[in-house]
Amino acid sequence: MKLQRRKITASVPSFAMGDIAFLLLIFFVILARAQDDSHIKWQPARLDKVDVAPAARASVVIDTGSKTYLDGKEISPEELATKLSAVLGDTPAGNRHVFLKVDRDAQAKVFEPVIAAISEAGGDLIHILEPEKQPARK
Amino acid sequence: MKLKRGKLLVDPPACASSDIAFTLIIFFLVCAAVQPETGMSQALPKTEEKSEERDQSKNLEVSITPSGIVLNGSPLQLPEFTRRIAAELKTKTREQDRIVVVKSAPDTDYPAWIGVSRAIDSAGGILTLELESERTIEVK
Repeated sequence: MKLQRRKITASVPSFAMGDIAFLLLIFFVILARAQDDSHIKWQPARLDKVDVAPAARASVVIDTGSKTYLDGKEISPEELATKLSAVLGDTPAGNRHVFLKVDRDAQAKVFEPVIAAISEAGGDLIHILEPEKQPARK
Repeated sequence: MKLKRGKLLVDPPACASSDIAFTLIIFFLVCAAVQPETGMSQALPKTEEKSEERDQSKNLEVSITPSGIVLNGSPLQLPEFTRRIAAELKTKTREQDRIVVVKSAPDTDYPAWIGVSRAIDSAGGILTLELESERTIEVK
């Protein structure tokens, strides 16, 4: 007598899909945070009139410790112009926006060479500032 | 005889909690992404090294120090500087005459620099930075 082997069907439990999606999302969020500059500590300076800034191709930050970062990675001001030129590539003028986020306590000896480097790379400089707070009306 | 009604316990399905967390994360990510950055754009001429042959008499010169601003030799505070620079640049029609050379003391803070820079931009000036270059001289 010949016995037939039972067929076992293996299926992925569908209720695990939510967990998989959740873990994937966490992974991509961490990956994205490593590339941006939200982990850098800096306090924006205030100005009475500020405009909404257009999207930028690159972001340069000078933090509270006077260190310079290009797109979240620490960089020396001397090599900033070269690296920024590579980031901006052949982007036409007018679209070469570069955000400059300078800590309000930074001094000219730190931020002026950075501004000069952005200018040398042909970037359209946008100082990121905070609007001045209006005094509360009584 | 009185029959007791059995109590029905309704538990939310546990497998749905990850879906709820997923939806919440999407919501907060979208909320975080829509906050726009605010600031001030600034047009700067391309940096180039220049020797001292520049005709300094033609351009306005501004020095910024932590204590104040000096415009063509006169010490001023920001409101007065804003008025003076606007008046000076009003008479200049050619682009090359609208260049304002800014030299800052090394310890000038960023808000003071931004204030001066804003005043020059608003008056129609073209801000140019004068940076000091460092040179190492070996003395034998």
